[in-house]
Amino acid sequence: MGVAFVAHCLLNQNSKVGDGAHCAGVYSPIIDVLREKGWRIEQMPCPELAFSGLNRFWGVREQYDTAAYRRHCARLAAAVADAITVRAGQGEEIVIIGVQGSPSMGVTITSSDPTRGGRPEWPDGTAEHVSGEGIYVEELRKAVECRGLRFPRVAGETHALAGHDETEQRANLEAVLDT
Amino acid sequence: MKRDERSFRVALMADSYVNPAPGGVDGVVAAAQLGWGVLQLPPDDYPPDLVRLLLYEVAEQAEEFARHGYDLVLVGHCEGLAEALARVGVGLPDGTAPESSVQLLEFLVDRPVPRAIAELGERGG
Repeated sequence: MGVAFVAHCLLNQNSKVGDGAHCAGVYSPIIDVLREKGWRIEQMPCPELAFSGLNRFWGVREQYDTAAYRRHCARLAAAVADAITVRAGQGEEIVIIGVQGSPSMGVTITSSDPTRGGRPEWPDGTAEHVSGEGIYVEELRKAVECRGLRFPRVAGETHALAGHDETEQRANLEAVLDT
Repeated sequence: MKRDERSFRVALMADSYVNPAPGGVDGVVAAAQLGWGVLQLPPDDYPPDLVRLLLYEVAEQAEEFARHGYDLVLVGHCEGLAEALARVGVGLPDGTAPESSVQLLEFLVDRPVPRAIAELGERGG
């Protein structure tokens, strides 16, 4: 047991990019597992919500990877890293629960397409998913390591990935929590 | 914007309802049951400077929901929230500090239809 710092949208699907909400509010498949296993929940801010707003387009890393967006993410990450420092100082185990495939919140899978831009027009599909962290997670890693802490274990919600399987998502989350 | 599964309802929720003590009111379960999203407020045990930083981010996000006509409510109390919201031009939303899950569920059920849903309906969304 410990503290799970969770992506904002796992408690609030209203923050999702348009057409991206998988349920009305709380994404229970992740939250229920954390609760069952006795993990405390702390919600991280949604980096895209305050920066690009509720009417933002679906985007990839290259569209968000500007100096201004990195400064925004670094500001959010600094506060969260301070919170992680407090909890780590209390001897708590820490995990980060992100959103796989997200240009900002991906923990091991993000999205990338250097050609995407202009009038929003592209076919459905997941060809943009690549290994790597989203921009906010990269900034969080820097902020945490800057404070002399090891970056916590990570897990991710996988709804956006091709072949998403809720059972597999749960198993992966449990494996990270139980490590 | 195409309508998806979102509820357009967001509860700014004190940490004591997100991580309730044994026997306490579980705000997350109530929110999940009624389809509300949760915007968690900073825990009381963080240093005041950190609480201020976190509230700054909460307020910016709340402002975006308010501007788009999402229904915002406050569940519980949080020192400094009113000031943080005022900085972004948002008033303290209607609120409750329920002593039971039933009280919380009744409060949430009684809320009006969010303006965002009414506007989507008018546009055929």
